[in-house]
Amino acid sequence: MATDRTTAPTDKNPHRVLPPSAKRKHDVNRKRQARLGWYFSTPALLVVAGVTIFPIVFSVVMSFSNVQVLGSGFQLSGATLNNFGIVFGSAKWRYALAFTVIYTVVTVTIEVVLGTLIALVLERLRGVRGWMMAMLLIPWSLITVISAQLWNYIYDPTYGAADAIFSALGLGHPVILGSNASAIIAMMVADIWKTTPFVAIIVLAGLVMLPGDVYEAAEMDGSNGWQTFWRITLPLLRPTIALAVLFRILQAFGLFDLPFVLTQGGPGYATTSLAVLGYQAMFTNLSFGPGAAVAVTTAALVVLGCIVFLRVFRAQVNQGEEN
Amino acid sequence: MRIKETNRRPAKSPWSKRFRAAAFVSVAMTAVVLSGCSSSSTPTPSSTSVASAPGTADSGTISWWASPITSSGADPRTVLIADFEKAYPNIKVNLISAPTDTDTNRATLTTQISGGAGPDVYMGDVIWPAQFADHQLATPLSQYLPASYFDTFAPGLVAGATYKDQVYGAPFFEDQGFLYYRKDLLAENNMKVPTTWEELMADSKAIQAKGQAQYGYVFQGASYEGATCNYMEFLTDAGGTVLNSGATSSTVNSTEALKALTFEQQLVTSGVSPQAESTYQELQAMNEFSAGNSVFMRNWDYGYSTSQAPGSAVIGKVGVAPMPTFEGQKTPGYSNIGGWNLYVNPHSKNVAADLTFIKWMTGSDAQKTLATQFSEIPTNQAVRQSPDVVKSNAVLAVVPQTKLIARPAQTPFYPQVSTAIYTNVSAVLSGSMTPAAALKAAETAINTALSGGGL
Repeated sequence: MATDRTTAPTDKNPHRVLPPSAKRKHDVNRKRQARLGWYFSTPALLVVAGVTIFPIVFSVVMSFSNVQVLGSGFQLSGATLNNFGIVFGSAKWRYALAFTVIYTVVTVTIEVVLGTLIALVLERLRGVRGWMMAMLLIPWSLITVISAQLWNYIYDPTYGAADAIFSALGLGHPVILGSNASAIIAMMVADIWKTTPFVAIIVLAGLVMLPGDVYEAAEMDGSNGWQTFWRITLPLLRPTIALAVLFRILQAFGLFDLPFVLTQGGPGYATTSLAVLGYQAMFTNLSFGPGAAVAVTTAALVVLGCIVFLRVFRAQVNQGEEN
Repeated sequence: MRIKETNRRPAKSPWSKRFRAAAFVSVAMTAVVLSGCSSSSTPTPSSTSVASAPGTADSGTISWWASPITSSGADPRTVLIADFEKAYPNIKVNLISAPTDTDTNRATLTTQISGGAGPDVYMGDVIWPAQFADHQLATPLSQYLPASYFDTFAPGLVAGATYKDQVYGAPFFEDQGFLYYRKDLLAENNMKVPTTWEELMADSKAIQAKGQAQYGYVFQGASYEGATCNYMEFLTDAGGTVLNSGATSSTVNSTEALKALTFEQQLVTSGVSPQAESTYQELQAMNEFSAGNSVFMRNWDYGYSTSQAPGSAVIGKVGVAPMPTFEGQKTPGYSNIGGWNLYVNPHSKNVAADLTFIKWMTGSDAQKTLATQFSEIPTNQAVRQSPDVVKSNAVLAVVPQTKLIARPAQTPFYPQVSTAIYTNVSAVLSGSMTPAAALKAAETAINTALSGGGL
């Protein structure tokens, strides 16, 4: 290596050989460099492919095989639909699916409405916008496991803040995480608290980019604020909101950390999401085949959900344009 | 499209040779990286029944995977390792601190061992043997160690570590349910320590009616393993079981099980136990008890020392007793077995040294240290009964009077069996299910699990 270094910057180096004035040659040189860049990054890219594409393909393969996890490694045999049979036949899975879908729809809807409202306010707050955004980002930047633990303290039936507030209001001592409906609502509140700022910031970015002349024209035509919002702001914001909704659906459908910390899927299995169910199947029961089937069906469903959403949304946008 | 084509460079490229070279290099580098991942795999363990373990018994380096045993003070793991290395100066033990969450611990170990790596010796839960044996994640110790070694343990513990006639774990320290009570409140009301559940309920109501405590009894009822432990105690007291003797089908939908679960529900509905029981793990129960809010508590062996720690409202007011049972049954009631075993990784290269370590850790010196310095319940029968151990703390003095029941972990599907129990018990305590419906649901789920079709 040491000798290489000393001999490297000689006339073998193409930079020195090429006359700097020749523009075409300079272009070629840049292309060479770009290709060289690709060559050097190929190993890294292969590793990245290995840690993302391989696991995805492997879990699809696992979901269609009899998987045995042994001390000597994973043994896959046969092509079977057995794992999917177990998944679709399980009442627990059907419950987890319903819970995850309802959870996603409710939290994403509320987050988008709240987030858009916050963004509209933030856009007008020119002076303190930076400070407000920084404050908003605190919940979003907290790791979910930590924010879930904070909510756990709030919901604690013995010394929790929520309990103190409820009893001060004369509402007694409801056990927030102890009954099905309240545990689900409590989890949604924690999620909305954390991710509304994310939606707000994406929508704010969209708002800032909107062309000012449209608003001027609207003002000239005597449009009031309410009309401006429904007829101009919202239609123009549609692509931005669609993006935020897509991100949120993808994340909410993979709900794991909140139930893992707050309820471990309980009471009963009231807050068992698809991800928690898959985790339990794989890492507690060591049934990797059915666990992989849960993961694959979940992924397929979320992709399907996003496609349907985009279709509907595009149709709406087109309709709006035609009108 | 057309624009793209006109811009395209002629096919002849002076770089193709270099490209090939670079591609070769990158493939080679990737191969090196990948082979690095798999080079740790070792051949499967030999299945000889002769007692000759690979490696040398008195030298070498071994790694020991163990989660923290106590939460404060000196670390028993490092104390024991130091003592062991004094006794065997040529064996070096590297401690690997394992995750404290049992499920995370199991998941990490499983992936490591099935990947061909992992620690030599690991400390694992008492409910793991069947599952780990079935998945070949542990070496059968009875292959190498004689029956006389397994006779040194307290009765019942080795049976719990046995699967298909092979012993997979050496019991390291035990834990079990105890009834903690408020000495002061019972004395004030001229009550003796209850020996039946009915008595406990009546005493609680009387003391609560006087306003001397908010709750009568706190226990573990959240949707997690602890709820299975608690239910096992009520169930066995009532005379019920979870599985038939061959562990092939559920027996949990019985009148005995209904009696047990209905009583557990009544504890909550009557206000003897908190409404929040369906969210209570050990910590929540401990907090209520230490705050002076409850007359009785079911907890593990650390319940006594934790209730006497600075900051507690009940210092000097706590007694410990065996669990109560139902009226008409022989006292005391059953205590569920918890605790940890030592297992050997099938990939370990120095099993002989592993066994030396395990034998020492379950021998009298280490067991005495665990009991007298760290208040853990020793598994070694002689140590457990020795006068200085019994004298050393209130909990260890009660141990010889207790009656033990193991969880139905003799099936490799135990995690699903337990999930079926604790989700349904917790649902009853939260008020969303009747005991009868819960037992029916649990039975269906257990039978599905035992047939291998559970999720």
